Amino acid sequence: MKTRWGMLLIVPLVVSAALLFGSQFVFLKQSFFVDLPFGRKAASWSLANYTRILTDPYYLRTLWLTTYISLAVAAACVGFGFPIAKVLARRPSRWTTFLLCAIVLTSFITTVIQIFGIVIVFRADGPINRALLALGIVDRPFTIIGTPLGVIVGLVYASFGFGVMLMYAIVRTIPVTLDEAAAIHGATPLRTLWRVVLPLCLPGLIVAFLTIFNTSMGAFTSAALLGGGRVITLPVLIQRTMLLDVKYGMAGALAALLLLFVVLMNFVSIAILRRFRSVRLATV
Amino acid sequence: MNNAGIAPHPSPLPASGEREPSVSEAGEGSSVRVLRRIRWRTLVTVAYFIVIFTVLLAPLVVVIGGSFSAPPNERVVMSYVEFPPKRLTLEWYARIPHAQLRALGFSFVLGLGVSFAACLLGVPTALGLVRGRFRGKPIASAIVRAPLQIPHVVSGIAFLQLFYAVGDLGGAYVQGTTAGLFIGHVFMATPFVVGSVMAVLQRMNPRLEEAACVLGASPWRTFRRVTLPLIAPGVFTGALYAFIVSFVDVPVALFLASPDATTFPVELFNSMEQDFNPSSLASASLAAGFAIVLVFVAQRVVGLDGLLKPKTQ
Repeated sequence: MKTRWGMLLIVPLVVSAALLFGSQFVFLKQSFFVDLPFGRKAASWSLANYTRILTDPYYLRTLWLTTYISLAVAAACVGFGFPIAKVLARRPSRWTTFLLCAIVLTSFITTVIQIFGIVIVFRADGPINRALLALGIVDRPFTIIGTPLGVIVGLVYASFGFGVMLMYAIVRTIPVTLDEAAAIHGATPLRTLWRVVLPLCLPGLIVAFLTIFNTSMGAFTSAALLGGGRVITLPVLIQRTMLLDVKYGMAGALAALLLLFVVLMNFVSIAILRRFRSVRLATV
Repeated sequence: MNNAGIAPHPSPLPASGEREPSVSEAGEGSSVRVLRRIRWRTLVTVAYFIVIFTVLLAPLVVVIGGSFSAPPNERVVMSYVEFPPKRLTLEWYARIPHAQLRALGFSFVLGLGVSFAACLLGVPTALGLVRGRFRGKPIASAIVRAPLQIPHVVSGIAFLQLFYAVGDLGGAYVQGTTAGLFIGHVFMATPFVVGSVMAVLQRMNPRLEEAACVLGASPWRTFRRVTLPLIAPGVFTGALYAFIVSFVDVPVALFLASPDATTFPVELFNSMEQDFNPSSLASASLAAGFAIVLVFVAQRVVGLDGLLKPKTQ
């Protein structure tokens, strides 16, 4: 009986492993071959692609730009989204179902559609600019298209719904009785949030932050459409190197850099989280 | 923030705001102050919700509204889409390019196929990972979850290069075909099915299956009549997420698609980069309408809580 459940795993695991290792192996191998003109590649392998990435400040600046945009996106999603998730999870009302549906809806729609809307909302004679001009906050229309801020806004739209869904699920796992216990013992709502709910949610919030960070590091659509060719993030650079310059080796090396960086960030954060958690458990 | 002294008999009321405050315990004046504080907090919360949801839904509303707006002149570009529309028209719906409609249909069928295949792979994987007892389980689990960590762009170029390499070896190139897109999307979608089915399995009572066995049901019958109905909500949620992953994906499809096999998001992406006109808003609105129906159905079938259960432990 017990061995049979394990047997179930064989076929799907072989397929998953083949897809995972097959795809990763091929492009990693390619990344060690220098590109020659007309899509050909060098006969023997070398580290030339990697040394070029690590010595050319352009590539490192791109990596930094992508990281900084992704950090801002993750911070904005968790920061603005957590109060929404917390209230929806803790204070059910007749609006809750509707609002949750709206949240889910935004993550069921492709980013491209959202970007259509963002472009219309933020354009020079769009509602935002007209409102800001009418209020006298700005004296001439401003644009976020083609700026890092525009890319950040686009990515926040792409991840916000998903982030709130994750955090909603996290808040739901914390028993309401704990809030009530804190309140009975005289804690104000703010203090309950700060000392009870937030600490219990923290590991989950960090996971949500990392998930959004990962997605943003690899997100291509917002950067390509809202960056307007002026904000070149790593995914956009990879796509251009691959499809426009037909430099598979270089594109592979850049993709490897992105992959390595994301995986490393995750490992470090989870290691810190583990340590942090064990310390907390030790002091309690 | 030391205002704990406002209520002489601190009550749990402010924390669980849905209950009516009782005036009997606290004195008259303090209960008014507690009420006022609750109201002030509610006001801030409501204001925050209104702002966030307005901002969140604005692009969608603008797209749907803009798709009904009459063109101010013949040559309409993105910047002339009127919102709010001055004159309503269905003209843009009639002028949706055939390629976009075909891509929408293609995305739908591809999503269904990906969703089905992800379930075929994901459900046994989840059963094996939760129920199985064998060495190397953490490694198996890591292999199954790895696609969640790989940036989408990396998956895109990895599969494109894999298909080239396989084609060079075997002569059958799948890049630019439905099969290639299908493989790439199944790779991305399967972990979602595994995650949501595992979450249900971990909460399930194994006694129910044992009871079926004891009562003489064959293993297959036990699975079909007991296990499957119990994990059905998890399977449905996973299948829905798998469908969505495929239905909204741009980065992977951009590498693997070709003019013969293009998904709807890629078609929209190209329309925005090349020849945008409001008929793209019309087809985008069709896709959005479909998403609204999908959310409604999902809410009816599994309920929102089923949809929002934690999927990453």
